[in-house]
This record gives sequence, C-alpha cells and structure tokens, in this order.
Amino acid sequence: MSSLADTFSNFVARQTGARSVRVIEFDKLSGGAIQDNFGLTLELEGGDRPGRQEFVVRQDAPSGVAESLSRPEEFRVLQAAFQAGVTAPEPLWLCEDAKVSGRIFYIMTRASGSASPRKLVKGDLTGEQRRHLVRRLGTELARLHTVRPPVEGLDFLDMPADGNPARSRVALYRGYLEKIGEPHPVLEWALNWLEDHAPEPGPTVLCHCDFRTGNYMVDGGELTAVLDWEFTSWSDPCEDLGWLCCRSWRFGADDREVGGVGDMEDLLVSYREVSGVDVDPAVVSYWEVMALVRWALIALQQARRHMSGEQRSLELALTGRLVAQREYDLLNQIPEWAEGQ
Amino acid sequence: MTHDPDTRDLLTEARQVLLDSLAPGLAGEQKYQALMIANAMGMAIREIEQRSHGEPEATDRVLSQFLAGHQLPDDPLQGEQTLARALRERSLNGEDAELRSVLRGLTEARLRINNPGFLK
Repeated sequence: MSSLADTFSNFVARQTGARSVRVIEFDKLSGGAIQDNFGLTLELEGGDRPGRQEFVVRQDAPSGVAESLSRPEEFRVLQAAFQAGVTAPEPLWLCEDAKVSGRIFYIMTRASGSASPRKLVKGDLTGEQRRHLVRRLGTELARLHTVRPPVEGLDFLDMPADGNPARSRVALYRGYLEKIGEPHPVLEWALNWLEDHAPEPGPTVLCHCDFRTGNYMVDGGELTAVLDWEFTSWSDPCEDLGWLCCRSWRFGADDREVGGVGDMEDLLVSYREVSGVDVDPAVVSYWEVMALVRWALIALQQARRHMSGEQRSLELALTGRLVAQREYDLLNQIPEWAEGQ
Repeated sequence: MTHDPDTRDLLTEARQVLLDSLAPGLAGEQKYQALMIANAMGMAIREIEQRSHGEPEATDRVLSQFLAGHQLPDDPLQGEQTLARALRERSLNGEDAELRSVLRGLTEARLRINNPGFLK
C-alpha cells in the first residue's frame, strides 16, 4: 500500500508542479466491486494546489463488469457532468499509462459526508432537510440532462436504437434474460408490458443510469457529490428519475418515493424549475417498472457469478433470492399503473 | 432410512444457536455475515417445511392446469420454462387475469420461502 501511496503522490506532485509532497493519509475506500477507490490526503508545497489536499484515486479492480465504462470513459463523462454544473467530484488527472501504477487510473477531488443509505434513510434528518435534499436531487438531474449529443469526447457512448430508449432497453434486457437461461415468467410478462406501453421518447440526454440513494454523498443534510458514473449513457431523462424513485432503492422507507428520502412531487418541481421541462409522473412510473426489471436482472447476474464458481459468495447467492421481491413489486405496480391510465 | 432428529430440526436448532449465542457477540462485517447465514438457513428450513406439506406440487398443479387450458405442454417439471417461452413468443394475453393470478401464485410461493415478511 505504501509504495502505491508514493506512486500516486509523486504523480500528483508532477501534475501540480509541487516542490515537495507528503502523504498524510492513504486508505482503500469501501464500496467498489468494479473499481478500487483510494482516499489520498497530501500536503503539497508549491505548485498550483498548495496545502492540504484530499483526493480519491479510482482504478480498475481485477474483475470488471463488461457493461460498465472504462476509467478513461468515466473520466470524460465526469468532466462533461462537472462542466454542466452537476455537484460531482472534480475530475483532475487521468493516467492512461498503465506503467505508472500497474493499471489505468484517474484522480478526483474528495467530497465530504457519507453515501450510506442506512445513515440517510434511517438517520435524523428533519422533514425540511429531506425536502431540501429531494429538491437538490431534482436540480442535479436537470443540470445533467442539459448535456445532449453530440458532445466532443463522448462519442464512445451509444445512442439508443431507433431513437427509442425504452424499446432499446427492453431489447437489451430480453438479451440479458436469455443469457441468464433461467425461466422468469414474471420478468417476461413485465418486458412485454414495457414494450406495449413504451411512452413517446423524451429528448435524448446524458443519463447517469445509477442515480439513486447510495450513490450520492450527503453531509449535514447537504448533497456534496454525485458518485459512480460507470453506467452513464444517452437515454431518456425519465430513466434517471424512474431509477431514483424505484421501490427497490427506498431502503425500507417505502412511503418516501424518492430514494427513501421524500416525495416525487418535490423532485419534479425542482426538476422543472431548472430544466423548464414538465415531467409527466406517469412516464416516471413507467421507468420505475423498467427499473424493477433491471434491478432483478442485475440480481440474477450476480447470483450467476456465485453459481458459476466465478466468485463464490453467500451475499451474491442471497441476492439471487431477492429477485422474487422485485417480481412481486412488478405484479403490484403494473396493474396499479394500468388502472391509472 | 430416517434420521432423528430430522434435517429441519437440526437446522432450526443450529440457526437458533447462531442467533441467540453467537451473533450478539459479533460486530461489523462478522455480524453481517452471521445474519446472512441465519437468513440462508431460514430459507432452507422453510423450503423443507413447504415440501413436507406438498406446497410445490400444489403450485405446479395450478400452473399445469393453466398451461393445459391454453393448449400448451403441461409437464409440471417444465412448467415455468413453458410459460416463460410462451410469454416471450407473445402467445399469451398479458392482460389476462388468470395469467396474472398464476404469476402471482408462483411469486408468492417463492416469497413464502425467501422472505415471508415481504408478502403484504
């Protein structure tokens, strides 16, 4: 670890032009199955970032996920989001020379607070703080969704097939289900419903595609950073709104639609204030159904990693047993939505 | 051949020792792991109980009847496969109340094993 700390600190010194650098703290951060994240606190003398500086170093973990972005792609997406005014860690330096640390990595600023859903959902935020946070989430998404194709440097992101993100997702998820090779009639039924009820597509925008409680940092009730940009793609804005509101991301606070924090109405009001777009809640509900299907498929893929022997793990095995909960949610949510039409 | 105490009894007792005697002394990651083990054992116990009451067969029978009623192969061992394929091929009406009821029955049977508390 200490030699890795020296490697990264020397890299920062070169990038900033610092005369000297001292490592104050270096530790591996939790929560990266696809990446290794390290906290790096340095004392820099001279250069363009003098003084005590806190960074996060993000590099590939030994086993990646094929569907996620590479580190250089993620760095460029983060740059685009940061430039659009999203409260994200500032991406500072990308190192594509694997000889430096053994893997490709990038360094960004470190945000304060915690991303723990438990702390946030079961914590002691007041009703007003929750409302403020939900409105802030709407603001962040509205800013991100101002990024629209084409964007120089983001040409590695695929456009939705036939210009229809919903139908494009249905086709992708049918492929996943086929590959999993286990019969899931409820998921087939839900995919048929999603195909038949696909709404008119909204504008194609930059979507985070994993924007949910657990992937943003909060400090004293204030959002400090949106994290985990590896699934970003061009899609319908409502895909992000639906994923954030999906029942599976409420962490037990089912009555608070927005990530177990607050109400969808507040989310959509702040989204409209910043974007000028009046989102139809029914379209968000449609994308919530899509989110339940996606969640179930990810859980099945994780269980497969255990069952195939690729990564034997009780946690992954139990994740496979959670799929029935999402199927039950689908059976409840689809009729509710259909009756509301 | 039978073994007494039976598997269900052994698992139930082992799970109780884990929860009552071991887990309270653990913290952090180890406590999380102990609770995951208890969760997995609980599923195994409920699965054994349901088998002894013939519940999987009852669920399969409902599915077989539905498939037979829709001119589909009604082999109970292949029931879910047949249903999934028919849905993929769009040969069933997704709005059919009987279909939804069969899907609900299958899902609730799984939840009675995996997480009975989730059934509202």
